[in-house]
Amino acid sequence: MSDAGVSLDYVNSIVYDLEKAFWDERGKGARFRVTNVGRDYFLNKCLPRIESREVESIIETVEQVMREEGIVAGIAHEIDGRLLRLEVQGCLHGEVEQRLVAKGVEPFTCIPANLVVLAIEETLDRPVELAEIKVEDGTCRMVLALFESRPTFD
Amino acid sequence: MSEQYDLVEATIKIIQDRRSIRQYTKDSVSEEHLEMILEAARQAPSGENAQPWRFVIVKDEATRKQLGAIAGGGSGRRFTAEFVTAKMQARFESLEDEAKKKAIFEKLTSGRVSAFLGDAPVSIVVCGRKDVWDLPYDTSAAIENMLLMVTALELGACWVIAPCIDIRDEERLKGLLGVPEGFKVISIVGVGHPTRPHRPRPRLPLHELVFNEKWDVAYYEEES
Repeated sequence: MSDAGVSLDYVNSIVYDLEKAFWDERGKGARFRVTNVGRDYFLNKCLPRIESREVESIIETVEQVMREEGIVAGIAHEIDGRLLRLEVQGCLHGEVEQRLVAKGVEPFTCIPANLVVLAIEETLDRPVELAEIKVEDGTCRMVLALFESRPTFD
Repeated sequence: MSEQYDLVEATIKIIQDRRSIRQYTKDSVSEEHLEMILEAARQAPSGENAQPWRFVIVKDEATRKQLGAIAGGGSGRRFTAEFVTAKMQARFESLEDEAKKKAIFEKLTSGRVSAFLGDAPVSIVVCGRKDVWDLPYDTSAAIENMLLMVTALELGACWVIAPCIDIRDEERLKGLLGVPEGFKVISIVGVGHPTRPHRPRPRLPLHELVFNEKWDVAYYEEES
């Protein structure tokens, strides 16, 4: 097997087919079965770099890793109460979302968002839920809900 | 059941009387009844007769509370996500009673809608072998059989997917119960004695559901 890099078109076409197949099988429930996609990457590349216990700083570290690795051009974020807004620009996988939208499928997963969620959950044990992904002009705009702690219902 | 029914009448009555029961008395479920419920599950159909279902019976209070917390946490996250994107408000747009609407939103976003599982005297955790072709369908048939037997026994149950729909929660659940990698947690069925009778929930009419030979050609005419 050649160790030359594979084309991005090939990778994204396969990721698209997998996501579309999963959507066709599971519908809107597909979103909840892919929430930890990217975990190995997170554990290997992101977690060792996270030193802070502040949400803002954790997000910035994940963004830095993804920029260095050429996965995204940038991730802007804003925390507004319990809402976390992410804006991912220049994502390697942007074409996947665009193809899904063209097929009438609402994008249901985002690897950069998953990495941010995993980072917050694994370092702070604060649950996070991806609520919405909107693709506009090549930019993915996401809304996530941030929770203070895991409920116990005692 | 003191009334007398023939087999067809009894079958449809059990199906129509089934409710999703989320509030239970403190009374325990007898071993005899539990075994009848599990026997109903065991008799379900499965692809290739694979019988991929396995069941973990949870009665221990501390474990039940953890099941409730995982279920409620998952529901709370998902419904909060629906709320903050205003999809929940759109879903309940036709509900005019604002106080009732607010109470529903609170119940859903807090996760209490699923956390009741912690109060069920018995939880039946339904798992399935992954090395079969039809796992979700097989186990769903077993679950429905259980719900019908629960109804026949005048007990109450609720089929809860909240603690395992998200893979993050399913992993917690598997860790809690020691479920091995080759199995998937499908759902939890909370069982107990209902605190009160429940009204039936509305069902779509057959004429909206059934097509004649081709999609969108109604099999039944709409009743005027």
